[in-house]
Amino acid sequence: MTKRRTTPRVRIGRGVNYLTLIVISCVFLGPILWMVLGSVKSDAEILSYPPTLFPSEFKWSNYAQVFELQPFARQFFNSVFVMALVCALTVIVSACAGYAFARVKPLGSSILFLVLLSATFIPPEATIVPLFQLVTSLGWIDTYYPLVIITVFLHSAPIATFILRQAYLGLPKELGESARLDGASDLRIFLTIYTPLVRPSLAAVVVLAGWHSWSQYLEPLIYLRDTEMFTVPLALTQFYDPFAGPMWGIQMAATTLSVLPVLILFLFAQRHVISGLTAGAVKS
Amino acid sequence: MAILAQNRAVGTGTGGDKTPPVPAVRRFFRANAFGYALIAPQLIGFAIFGLVTTVQSIWLSLNSINALSGVTTFVGLENYVNLITGDRFPLVFTNTVFFVAAFSLLNIAVAMGIALLLNNRLRGVNIFRAAVFIPALVTMVAWALVSRFILQPEGLLDFLVSFTGAEETPWLRSRWLTLTVIIFVQLTKNVGINVLLCLAGLQAVDRELLEAAETDGAGWWARFRHVTIPQVSPTLFMVFLLTVVASFKVFEVILILTNGGPGYETNVLSFMIYDEAFRRHDFGEASALAVILLLMIIVVSSVLWAIRKKLVYAEND
Repeated sequence: MTKRRTTPRVRIGRGVNYLTLIVISCVFLGPILWMVLGSVKSDAEILSYPPTLFPSEFKWSNYAQVFELQPFARQFFNSVFVMALVCALTVIVSACAGYAFARVKPLGSSILFLVLLSATFIPPEATIVPLFQLVTSLGWIDTYYPLVIITVFLHSAPIATFILRQAYLGLPKELGESARLDGASDLRIFLTIYTPLVRPSLAAVVVLAGWHSWSQYLEPLIYLRDTEMFTVPLALTQFYDPFAGPMWGIQMAATTLSVLPVLILFLFAQRHVISGLTAGAVKS
Repeated sequence: MAILAQNRAVGTGTGGDKTPPVPAVRRFFRANAFGYALIAPQLIGFAIFGLVTTVQSIWLSLNSINALSGVTTFVGLENYVNLITGDRFPLVFTNTVFFVAAFSLLNIAVAMGIALLLNNRLRGVNIFRAAVFIPALVTMVAWALVSRFILQPEGLLDFLVSFTGAEETPWLRSRWLTLTVIIFVQLTKNVGINVLLCLAGLQAVDRELLEAAETDGAGWWARFRHVTIPQVSPTLFMVFLLTVVASFKVFEVILILTNGGPGYETNVLSFMIYDEAFRRHDFGEASALAVILLLMIIVVSSVLWAIRKKLVYAEND
């Protein structure tokens, strides 16, 4: 830490820096604040011009309406349930594959790894038509299966495999070798010696997989018809009046309900969330 | 055979071992079985849902398919010819190119700019960092719905803009302006992740080099241009490549804000695939679009990968 004299110039620079950051933060947080305010306004007030900042009277019934117009509690459960399964399966599948690519390296594994990396480049839209046909022929329309199985193998596990491979590569070889001399089996070395050491990366993978599953929209939109089976993002886009106009207040209430749990989770597990969402992009 | 050497020496009849030599096939199997077993679920799953479906997409694109009646006839390249000679595809293709280029370049510039602002030792800088990151946590659908709420005619944005004396602006009912709005919405949601990555890159910059440059009389810009940028260039390149690939996947924002309209003015490839397949029930044409989308991603990422040596400064790599 070098001590700096605060000359006027430095002070002005610092002021400008703060001011820019405050303006930028408004752009990022303003919409969320506006959403929360909108969720307790009446539609008449929302459509009035100029818009009011604070609701003249709090219309809490918007929140009740969310649950009356859609089976929202059930839909919330659907999302959480699918997300939990995606997280669990992703961890299992990618820990196994990541370990094998990093430590076991069976013949041809480097080529297989490159093949797997190509998953990152296939956008979901590119294979959605054949996937839809496959899901239809398997009778998986309106079930949780495609949302869990296809999401894991196609979207979350390949990236997770990549992250975990890096993590396992960072551990010393000698650990496994000395355990082997003590007569430990391959499987035991993998599960009890190496895997506990990559726990932070496993947490990151869980966050990434959960985030992937939670925010999916295209797949549920195509695989689900029954509102009872809808996931939260799909439910959010269902709040229209009979004339196809959006019910603003109710829609903002539903959106607020979908955003709050995530923000609360973030406050409690900030470090893990950040490492999870950025791990998917770091390739060193 | 390094691969075999890494594994437990299987009975090869050495060192007083009395077991007969094991045939090569079995030896190979024994050495690799554990590794293959671990990789198998991931690879088989990806092969079925990723690779087979990609091939299937190519096959479907060569057929005329009526999804409602279920009739499929082989037509060769007809879908492609129809698309390219039609009047919708050129428009959508141009939109896609514009979107990908503008979004990716803007994204990296904004991410780097915000990262630079956050890289100063200021009190409370962590609060700003969290603020920029928070939209990345909400779903794209939620962010798009809130954006539509703000962008609606006589909504918050119109009100804020009215102070500059501007008339009501057709935010969602024009072409280039609306595409720019879509870029802005998509960018504000996920740029926080790139900001954190750029910030990590900036914090890894060699402080001594910066100080040396300062003593040599290099100004702020010169230091940034000749010291910082070369050092963060590998990070920047990786972030850029991933952003480019991700920018082809824009979907929810378009569906919620404009539905690709008016007409096809704000439609892009990824959305048009959905539109053709699940609203017009033309699986053949949708698959042809999917193949074109894949080709575009392959071409763009290959080109970027090929010129990375020119973009990334590396010390005798």
